[in-house]
Amino acid sequence: MTNLESLTPDAIDRLTANTEPWLSCDDCFELVDVVIEALVVSSTPFSEEFRVHLLRCPVCREEASSLAEIVAADLGFSPADAVAQIDTALSGVGA
Amino acid sequence: MSETSDPRELTVDARDQPSSVASDVPPAQVDWIMLLSVPGRAYEDAVAQIHALQLRAARRQVSRMREAAMFGAARREEIIHSAADEATMAVLARLSSFEGRSAFTTWAYKFGILQAGNDVRRAAWRDRDINLDDIPEQRQTVAPSPEGYAEGRDLAQAVRDGLREALTPHQRRVAVAVLIDEVPIDVLAERLGINRGALYKTLHDARQRLRAFLATRDFLLPAAPRKEVTQ
Repeated sequence: MTNLESLTPDAIDRLTANTEPWLSCDDCFELVDVVIEALVVSSTPFSEEFRVHLLRCPVCREEASSLAEIVAADLGFSPADAVAQIDTALSGVGA
Repeated sequence: MSETSDPRELTVDARDQPSSVASDVPPAQVDWIMLLSVPGRAYEDAVAQIHALQLRAARRQVSRMREAAMFGAARREEIIHSAADEATMAVLARLSSFEGRSAFTTWAYKFGILQAGNDVRRAAWRDRDINLDDIPEQRQTVAPSPEGYAEGRDLAQAVRDGLREALTPHQRRVAVAVLIDEVPIDVLAERLGINRGALYKTLHDARQRLRAFLATRDFLLPAAPRKEVTQ
């Protein structure tokens, strides 16, 4: 792999992103079941630190989306709608 | 969701389905802690059900990962079952930390999702080199205006300067690999022999230093996240 030509505008955006307020991946894992279930069941908005973490940690975001899909399916909701709820929560709308 | 069926009557095979059928899920009121507190038939059945939950979670996670598309169906099944095995052990090991703040099934699913995600990314990157040395040159993807070109070029140069001058060698290697080359964070963590949380903290510190460096060069960066990551 070479990265000599890969400092794109998107890469600059990722490099200079603000990740405050701080939340670790470990903290995210501890919270994700509670936060996602609350989102799916009652549209509870994300805390700011959870929102920022999911915006900046694509791996945690992917796992949160999977969990939302499967929890929604269990509860009789639409998995696609649950993922859309995550997108809305990440945008900060309603927070 | 069935409110009356006895979850101990369910078998692993019957519930190992990639579907979203709610009746496949054990009733919410099952006292898992009680079932898993005493060795015996109830314990064994409860473990089998937890394993079925992990299969469901792992299958869901693998099905939505584009990295998994490069594998054949047999390899994907192998990853799903291996992840479910590992995740079941993790659930049993962490059982005392379950506080009932979510449904037990929601809490349990996250272990299978985490394990399956890690396993797919690890397999996808197994034979790929990760460059931990270079500072990149700028590549323009959209032709900018003359003013935008100048600003973008200046910012890119300042970012490169910041990578060299403001970051430690470890921060620089991690930032380049994850934020420029888009190596998944858990893959790099494994290669470096550290955990994902420690690596994300390194990225956080690197970003803080880079932002402070850019501020000294009069580049004003937004305080709040501007857009979503594209990785």
